[in-house]
Amino acid sequence: MNAAKLFVRLAAFGAAFLLLLFFSNDFGLIDIQKTSIVTAVAIDAGEEGVDVTVQIAVPKSGATTAGNVTVKNAPTMVDAIAELNLKTGWYPTLVHCRLILLGEDAAKTDVFRNIDYFLRSQFVEDTCLVAVCRGSAEKALTAQSPVGDMTYAAIEKVLSSEAQQTGLVSVNILRDFAKGYYGAAGSGFLPLLTVREDAEGGATTSSGASESASSGSPSDGKAVFDASETALFVRGKQVETLNAEETLAFNLADTDTDFAYGNVTVGEKGEPVIYSLRMKITKKLITVRTEGDLPVLHFTVRARAQVADVNRAGSPLEVAQSSIVPENVLRAAEETFRTKLSDAFYKAQKSGCDLFGVCDRLQRFHPALWKKLGTDALTAAKPVCDIKFDTLH
Amino acid sequence: MKLCVRQICFLFAAVLPVTRLLVYPATLSFWAKNDLLFAAGMSFVLEGAAVAAAVFLASRTQKTFFELLESNFGKTAARAVYLLFALFFAFSAFLPILEQRGFVLQVFYENLPSFLSFLPVFLVSLYACAKGLRSIGRAADIALPVSAVCFVILFLMAVTEGDYTALLPLFGTGTGILRGGAFGLPWYTGGAYMLFFLGNFRYERGAAGKILLSYAIGAAAVLAFLAAFYAIFSDIALLQQNALAHVSKYATAFTSLGRVDLFFVFALTLVLLFALCIPLQLSVHCVCTALSCKTALPALAVNALLLVLTLVFNQSYLEIQTLMTQKLWVVYACFALILPYVALFLRRKDRALPCRQRREA
Repeated sequence: MNAAKLFVRLAAFGAAFLLLLFFSNDFGLIDIQKTSIVTAVAIDAGEEGVDVTVQIAVPKSGATTAGNVTVKNAPTMVDAIAELNLKTGWYPTLVHCRLILLGEDAAKTDVFRNIDYFLRSQFVEDTCLVAVCRGSAEKALTAQSPVGDMTYAAIEKVLSSEAQQTGLVSVNILRDFAKGYYGAAGSGFLPLLTVREDAEGGATTSSGASESASSGSPSDGKAVFDASETALFVRGKQVETLNAEETLAFNLADTDTDFAYGNVTVGEKGEPVIYSLRMKITKKLITVRTEGDLPVLHFTVRARAQVADVNRAGSPLEVAQSSIVPENVLRAAEETFRTKLSDAFYKAQKSGCDLFGVCDRLQRFHPALWKKLGTDALTAAKPVCDIKFDTLH
Repeated sequence: MKLCVRQICFLFAAVLPVTRLLVYPATLSFWAKNDLLFAAGMSFVLEGAAVAAAVFLASRTQKTFFELLESNFGKTAARAVYLLFALFFAFSAFLPILEQRGFVLQVFYENLPSFLSFLPVFLVSLYACAKGLRSIGRAADIALPVSAVCFVILFLMAVTEGDYTALLPLFGTGTGILRGGAFGLPWYTGGAYMLFFLGNFRYERGAAGKILLSYAIGAAAVLAFLAAFYAIFSDIALLQQNALAHVSKYATAFTSLGRVDLFFVFALTLVLLFALCIPLQLSVHCVCTALSCKTALPALAVNALLLVLTLVFNQSYLEIQTLMTQKLWVVYACFALILPYVALFLRRKDRALPCRQRREA
């Protein structure tokens, strides 16, 4: 083998080896002793800035426990992160952050003053969940979860895509919330998280001391999380809240919900009877049409219902034929759903929140009218609901 | 012959389109917003026409571009033009280097790594430059299966996640389409590449159709990607600087397995590396042809120059991008779009030969 060929082969092997090093991230090893893996961030309005609490995954033998660290009154998110590093000696890495919680007070001002930090350099995957809390986000994140030490994991389960599919929660991720904020109407929604006491005791929080780390040691007090309400936002500020029934109606009409449970009350023999229905959404469509210069939002929903339960004892035949819903119950379900959907629409409209995307749809499908009306399109819009429930025969 | 028609087809169908999947979609979204498909379509038509012009030239002559220039204007002028193109190719490689540096360091590393992590790229590039044009074809052969599989998988993971009504209303941004088309030209240098492939591949019957069909396939793939990209991100599309790594992460089928899409992004990075080497290889080729020297020294010089520039402007991607796209797009238009047309007017027969000999030739 002559020298030239040898050189070529050595160069080829050298290049392959360097490629391997380059792509295998061997140069970028993370020192786990110096890095804290942040799983969730809670943001509250401080007296002179922003209060940031992070939940850090702490690997221990056999399990992963949580450490909560709080920084008070940081001028910006960057300062808060830098202070976390300063106080704990850990450099927080946010790429594994799965949850951003916003406190009630923080949601009274434009929340993007703080959370646009996560969009700026893509420190956090924009698939992470965002929610707003009743009260303090710090208290919610440091509450003792009944299912383990990692509170964020319990909240993540409440806000899971499965919960969204059943219509109980209006889940939102950072990307979609940002799209709404930067969209035509500057509107959006977030699940409203409430920390409830369970039967064993009150919801607990960590010591709450600034810059203190508390590991989540089990205690008697446990908290459960409820996110059945939905907070509405306009230009980053919370302006209104949908209750659980309105949230369900919104989910049935507009989100990824395709299988839900709902109650319908009908009068039978002079007595109110509650039917719990299992609903499979077979079609959902929202279109904007125009009537003169008025945008009309048409909701089309088709669903198949089954009886899941009734609050009176049924005959053997009724129990055997649970898949068949009486006609009067179907009509009552349609009416209930129509009423709740209209309530959600008007509540959002009154608060200025374009929950159903009237402005976006008008801009896309009727640009001439959009140019004429601008954001007044939302106040001018009216809903038309075409809702039909059917049953198995 | 250093290249064959198949390799050129692979280059246009599988290598060059991948270079338009990083920062280009966000840049287009900034200027053309929901009309980004029209802006990109405009650029594709212009570049496709330049490629077609060069292919037409290839069907009429077996000469290289240098030989054509030499027979028309003399050797000195040909050398001068080649040196100008050497500068252009080195210059046009600079933005992709910074672009890929940002992409690799941001997507594959959790903490900001040292710049040293990116330096091996220059060694690979040095090796490719030293090997000459033949390695472009070999890289294209490797890139096709990688690109075809990985792009299709990433696209399938992304395609169902978007709201395609975000692309409406059509033609709503007015001059934004023209701006997007013009400012996106730094990503369209394929016409110039084709000019330098002249005389380096054997033109066969039907080659023009194959090359242009490959080009159209690559263009269609990029347009489909751009549509999915804007459908997913709409108003925040301009924030997504590394589109290739972001569009597929929302697929829920593999959520429990984590970011499996990164495997395919990882593989496409290899194709991006091949694409990154092409302008540098052509720059070295131009220098070698102009100065009639071997590849080693020019390869070293060109890569050293780009390495120094990258070190100096390590943190200045935005400024460089603004300069290249908004101010210097005319340079790209001249070299990569206009000159292939001008080349059509070059006399393709040797002036020194008498008529009879020309006919025989």
